[in-house]
Amino acid sequence: MLNPIVTGAALVAEAPAQGGNLTLDLLREHAPAALPGWSLPLITALISVVIVITVISLLAMVSVWLERKVSGHIQCRYGPMYAGGWHGWAQSIADGVKLLMKEDMIPLGSDKALFMLAPALVLGAIFGAFVAMPLAPDFYFADIHLGAFFILGMSSLTTIGVVMAGWASNSKWSLYGSMREAAQVVAYEIPLGLSLMVPLMVAGTFNLLDASAAQSDYWGMGWFVFKNPFVIPAGILFFVAALAETKRAPFDLPEAESELVAGFLTEYSGIRWSFFFMEEYAAMYLMSLMAAVFFLGGFESPVLHVARQAEWHPILCNLIAATTLIAKSMFGVLVMMWVRWTLPRVRIDQVMTMGYKYLTPLALLCALGAALWEAGKAWIFA
Amino acid sequence: MDFQGIHDHLRAIEAPGLVRADEPRLPNPEDKKDKGRSGDAYVVVEAAQLASFLRVCRDDERLAFEILADLTAADPAKDAEEFWVIVQLLSVQHRHRLAIKALVPKASARIPSATGVYRAAQWHERECAEMFGIEFVGHPDPRNILLPDDWEGYPLRKDYVFPTEYRGISCQ
Amino acid sequence: MATEHKPSITFHPEPRQLPGGEREYMMDVRTGDLEVNMGPQHPATHGVMKILIRTDGEMVTAAQPHLGFLHRCAEKIGENVEWLQYLPYTDRYDYLSSMNNNLGYSMAVEKLLGVEIPRRAEMIRTICAELNRIASALVAFGTYGLDLGAFTPFLYAFREREWLLQIFEKACGARLTYSYLRIGGLFNDVPPGWLEEVAHFCDVFEEKWQEYYDLLMVNHIFVKRTADIGVITKEQALDFGLTGPMLRGSGVDFDLRRDLPYMLYGEAHDAGAWKVVVGRGEKGTLGDCWDRIYVRVAEMMQSVGIVRWCLANIEEGPVLGDIAKTLKVPEGEAYVGIENPRGELGHYAVSDGGKVAVRCRVRGPSFCNLAILEDIMPGTLLGDAVAIIGSTDVVIGETDR
Repeated sequence: MLNPIVTGAALVAEAPAQGGNLTLDLLREHAPAALPGWSLPLITALISVVIVITVISLLAMVSVWLERKVSGHIQCRYGPMYAGGWHGWAQSIADGVKLLMKEDMIPLGSDKALFMLAPALVLGAIFGAFVAMPLAPDFYFADIHLGAFFILGMSSLTTIGVVMAGWASNSKWSLYGSMREAAQVVAYEIPLGLSLMVPLMVAGTFNLLDASAAQSDYWGMGWFVFKNPFVIPAGILFFVAALAETKRAPFDLPEAESELVAGFLTEYSGIRWSFFFMEEYAAMYLMSLMAAVFFLGGFESPVLHVARQAEWHPILCNLIAATTLIAKSMFGVLVMMWVRWTLPRVRIDQVMTMGYKYLTPLALLCALGAALWEAGKAWIFA
Repeated sequence: MDFQGIHDHLRAIEAPGLVRADEPRLPNPEDKKDKGRSGDAYVVVEAAQLASFLRVCRDDERLAFEILADLTAADPAKDAEEFWVIVQLLSVQHRHRLAIKALVPKASARIPSATGVYRAAQWHERECAEMFGIEFVGHPDPRNILLPDDWEGYPLRKDYVFPTEYRGISCQ
Repeated sequence: MATEHKPSITFHPEPRQLPGGEREYMMDVRTGDLEVNMGPQHPATHGVMKILIRTDGEMVTAAQPHLGFLHRCAEKIGENVEWLQYLPYTDRYDYLSSMNNNLGYSMAVEKLLGVEIPRRAEMIRTICAELNRIASALVAFGTYGLDLGAFTPFLYAFREREWLLQIFEKACGARLTYSYLRIGGLFNDVPPGWLEEVAHFCDVFEEKWQEYYDLLMVNHIFVKRTADIGVITKEQALDFGLTGPMLRGSGVDFDLRRDLPYMLYGEAHDAGAWKVVVGRGEKGTLGDCWDRIYVRVAEMMQSVGIVRWCLANIEEGPVLGDIAKTLKVPEGEAYVGIENPRGELGHYAVSDGGKVAVRCRVRGPSFCNLAILEDIMPGTLLGDAVAIIGSTDVVIGETDR
């Protein structure tokens, strides 16, 4: 698990400023001359960090509210209706304030340092993964060649935080939760990575920007799912594995509330607990964004194609691209919510069986099929 | 079978420990003191033979009481000499019931455990033991079930005096 | 289940000499059994019950239920209050089926009294008991889904339950602890329009029931989680004195309402209004969790049948028999077992002719049904353990009384 992280960190360190970074370009043009040239990338990085944290936190808060509304409407009720007025839009803010004001509880006998570190590590890792996630063709924070690889590595780092939380809590239920998380993530990393290999093969790149750009042909509908028949099953496999990776129902075994009280979250409360919660929603977005980039065409859509053809203002084009991407990922998030409020939870051995015995071989088959398809295509059109 | 039939059959097979049958009766109009007795009919069984009696009831084909529905005790009065141990049997096959009563002297409240015959008796006997202080000889797990392990006294006895405090908690 | 305490990491006393000359201390991590207290505050125990389980990894190797956290001395109270005053206490053992508890106690005292119950009262009693059975089965179904991680069926079930509670509220003013069926008949007659509303409920419920069945009972994950899990054989079920859906789930065709009929159930059964549902091992082995929950769910529709039959045959008349304000119950003893939603609810009442009972024994079905956990839980996974506890459908108010 550590390998991808080390590799990823090295990649970030040597990531060349390739140009095209909108923030950096704007800074270069408009920054006061007093600022030395070497400080501009640093300022860019700072701005990026602030934007990542704000955007992701906001998205997480919105989706907490959305989840409650979606679940409410699935279950013949309304969900939050009062806070803020319109359909309880401010519920998440109210919750956040409440969680901030709660007493900071650290259970007696817990490993205090690890207990405090775990939520920070989890949240840090998931925010770190977003660094490689472009929001628009000209708006990204780090243009990493092995972007997909980096994101998978960073997102599996959250597992260490979860295991840490379970161990540090000094509760048997928490320990069960964290052990389940470790077992589950190890089992599902493989099909997750393998199923992602399929669109990567079609794209021929690990870079998310390049992968998205590779889908801009056919009026912005040249999505990988249409280019190679094996991408469709791979997409389904990716979705299932992503559910397990993000601990979403029906794979929410690490925090199975009816079995393990709340699993690794049992002893957490207040703002530390909300960190885990934010991580869950951020991870949902991360996985959905990955799915959107590699399976659902990334930024590309006929609208963007038209905008490009008509040579609209680049900022407008970027806005359209960002909206497209977020809408596509929102679709993924909504499906995840829908699944969560419909299905019962599977058992731990069934999770393992499914991961190792079915998903992994199927993902391998998909990868093989896609490779043969691509090779055949290259041979025919050569 | 109705109660009469069951009783006759028990007599016929010489069920161990069977003492008598007790049936409800109407008050005698001539004797003003006699108020009669209402409710169920039951058979009275010797306490020491209760387990073997139950085994016969379970294994006999015409009785076939597969289910021990209830096993409980009662303290009829403060000055009574004996506890009652009451067993309710139920036959799924023949769709009949039988109430059995065993009289256990208060001075030495011991009775063989029925757990070996019906495992259903296990928890009922634990409850009886803690509530009445009846010892079920041969019970595999004689711990308290509803009361705390260190509870003193037997609450359902008529001479029970409610404690004023338990572990520093006032019970008044 | 006391075990001696061992440190989980032990040091070998002798350091090992490595070829390079260093000395190496070996650590040996012991992978032993873990004893976990499941409860008294665990979401799957449906109340304050504790199950001490010993686990080897996720595998449960031993389980021992511990009761008594909710012990409220119901039987002792019964010896200290008057016969009529005890009725509200009966509401509180199995608080999900209070109507049935009222019925059981009333029938036991009526047996001692030898009073005649008016037919209209019997009809309304039957309707109330069966509607309460539906309400109780809805909780069993909903919480079972909850135990297995499906949240939505729970709220669907509570939608219909809410309607039922409103129906009860109209009849007696209470939503959970009714004390509506009382010794000698009913507390009062039902308000005008009540019977029509019950009929409307039956019509709506029939459609919704199919929805529940499709949503949860035949869900692939649900079937995989419950089929072949926690199998109770017929012999085991009889030996442990299981009753009600637990017994029928194991394939024993026995229902007190049909086989030892009381009130109007026998009449309704002869009229073809309902039949006994027995588990058939449809999705797995006979007597598994799926069968038990299936019996509960399918019985809801049979209860609707009984209610419909009562609605069709109900007639005007008084609802309370000839009962004195201060009851003096003739000397004697009576045991009445009725079919509660969870099994046989037995009331054993002893009277010495006074105003107060000498003994007021309650045989709670959950209490008896729970004893089997010790037998069927070992060898299952932790997730199965939750499924098994859920399938016994215990109400802790009744086990502890």
